[in-house]
Amino acid sequence: MSDIRIGMLSFAHMHAVSYLHFLSQMEGVAIAGIYDDDYDRGGRIAAQCKVPYFRRVDGLLDQDLDGVIICSENALHAPLVLESAGRVQGILCEKPIATTLEDGQAMIDRCRETNTKLQIAFPMRFAPPVIELKQQLDTGVLGEIYSVKTTNHGSMPGRWFVEHKLAGGGAVLDHTVHVIDLLRWFWDTEVEEVYAEVGHELLHPGLGIDDAGLLSFRLANGVFGTLDTSWSRPESYPTWGDVKLDVLGENGLISVDAFEQNLQVSSEDDGKTSWVNWGSSGDEGLVADFVDMIRADREPSVSGEDGQRALEVALAAYESSRRAEPVALPI
Amino acid sequence: MRRVGIVGAGGISRTHADRWNQMPGVELAGFYDIIEDAAQRAVQRSGGKVFSSMNELFDAVDYVDVCTPGTAHMGPVVAALEAGLPTVCEKPLANSVADCEKIVEAAERTGTPLFVAMVVRFFPQFAKAREVLESGAIGSPGVIRTVRSGSYPDSSVGWRKGLAITSYYADFAQSGGVLLDLCIHDIDYQRWCFGEIERVFARGMMFAGKEPKDHALLTVRFSNGAVGHIEGSWSYPRGRFATRIEIAGTGGVIEWDSRTRPPVEVALEQEDGSLASSGSSPTAPQHDPYYAELAHFVRCVEAKEPFLVSPYDGLMAVKISRAAIESLEKGKAVTIR
Repeated sequence: MSDIRIGMLSFAHMHAVSYLHFLSQMEGVAIAGIYDDDYDRGGRIAAQCKVPYFRRVDGLLDQDLDGVIICSENALHAPLVLESAGRVQGILCEKPIATTLEDGQAMIDRCRETNTKLQIAFPMRFAPPVIELKQQLDTGVLGEIYSVKTTNHGSMPGRWFVEHKLAGGGAVLDHTVHVIDLLRWFWDTEVEEVYAEVGHELLHPGLGIDDAGLLSFRLANGVFGTLDTSWSRPESYPTWGDVKLDVLGENGLISVDAFEQNLQVSSEDDGKTSWVNWGSSGDEGLVADFVDMIRADREPSVSGEDGQRALEVALAAYESSRRAEPVALPI
Repeated sequence: MRRVGIVGAGGISRTHADRWNQMPGVELAGFYDIIEDAAQRAVQRSGGKVFSSMNELFDAVDYVDVCTPGTAHMGPVVAALEAGLPTVCEKPLANSVADCEKIVEAAERTGTPLFVAMVVRFFPQFAKAREVLESGAIGSPGVIRTVRSGSYPDSSVGWRKGLAITSYYADFAQSGGVLLDLCIHDIDYQRWCFGEIERVFARGMMFAGKEPKDHALLTVRFSNGAVGHIEGSWSYPRGRFATRIEIAGTGGVIEWDSRTRPPVEVALEQEDGSLASSGSSPTAPQHDPYYAELAHFVRCVEAKEPFLVSPYDGLMAVKISRAAIESLEKGKAVTIR
């Protein structure tokens, strides 16, 4: 069996480092090269991994690739997917799929036309505590589901993440899509209506973009819930953030804290106490699933359409906040 | 396809067999046990065939997994090594230092790979704690404390019913009590983290006539001057099993406790109005420590690479456990030679 050849397109999003780490541990996978429009960043990582660096996307796409992983700035997902479609079997695109629904649709359409498999990077579907919750829900143990209370807190990431042109939005766009994707997956349902209170510079004065968000939604299956997307974890906090889900049903409550498996490490060098996670990373399952999709020539387990629906909820949340009214979906 | 045969069909063989059955590229050929009924039950449970002799098993397999009690490791392990079959030996390497030395000698003489299944090194939280220590984040080693405490492993657990092993543990002359059966994990882990152990001092209940209950508190001094503390117990209240890690250095401290809030908590109201609550801390199947240690064995054998745990490490862990028992008997610190 020949190696699956993967090209990495941009390290603008730090998740690329984790994907690369797990890919490099997998048998039967070869990293064919790295493209990055930032020469210093791309060149440095390529040198560390002893793989070729490409200054142009085209140069890397010429390397007989089976798949690419795109971790550029959000707004550049679309041009990179459009350029890669038809030249590889599979594309793994970092979330959110794009910054506009038009871009997202163009990506989906081009991939369909060129018979390219488009997978969106939603690693939380591969986190064991979340899988455990999904299995519990599938047994029906909770009876009728009433409500779900969720948070996806984070640290303020800075850099291009706070530039509207490249990111498409702040905390609400960054942290709506993971949890919404999980809820759609749990119950094979859609968000029917969303209301949102979005905060600009509530936590980071002068930031120039939204840094707090409270979404209140109703799903098509009747379940209602909320999601906190805020970048509310300061430097001094022991970890980057969280993904927490409390699902309430007629028989009881299931609480998941997906990043709870931690060592507590107090380091004089860091000047603080940190939580060091020892759990199984969802990123490992995600890239393994992507490689398996290419190898088995099957449909992606998380599709472009999944990415598009999650993006739509984030965009509707911004719209709701502008109007101070609930917004019905699809928009 | 590699074929693996298990010698000894007691408790741990079930844990191993489950993992062998999950592993791609490996087939469980079956079991040999001096009690044929035990092998028969294991085969019904886990698959493969019953072998009527150890040699019949050796002829049919690529790897041997020795899961007999520690008192009965030496014979099958040495025979498997002499047959040229890469071998897994469940911990402890053997119950006596003399047996361990014969096994290590056989491994060296035959050059056949021998992996001692010190599974704690493959628990993700224990492995991560050592990784953080090695990174220098907490400076130089100072004080390490670990806990491994539960109730006596008796037949209240359904599938253990009727297994000879449950009475084996209670016979401390055979099993070595918690110091040899349980604390050996922590002795090996602490030695992996902080280096060679110079001396050990133990207090405990091994000779207090309270079998099967046992409880031990150890203090160790490492060659680099650092110190360590180990608690091991078969006296905790049932359902209160706990493990803990605390590693302190010149620049910080690492802590973990198995009794922190689990990532998944289920709370269900029962028909009678009572609450049924449970917690779990799931990891990916490949990170299950028993799967990980056996997969590590296969990977290293295939790649002709050394194991994370050497036969010498297995010998030293037993030597230190035995020294702890001697310390308990004499009421004195015992230096490791």
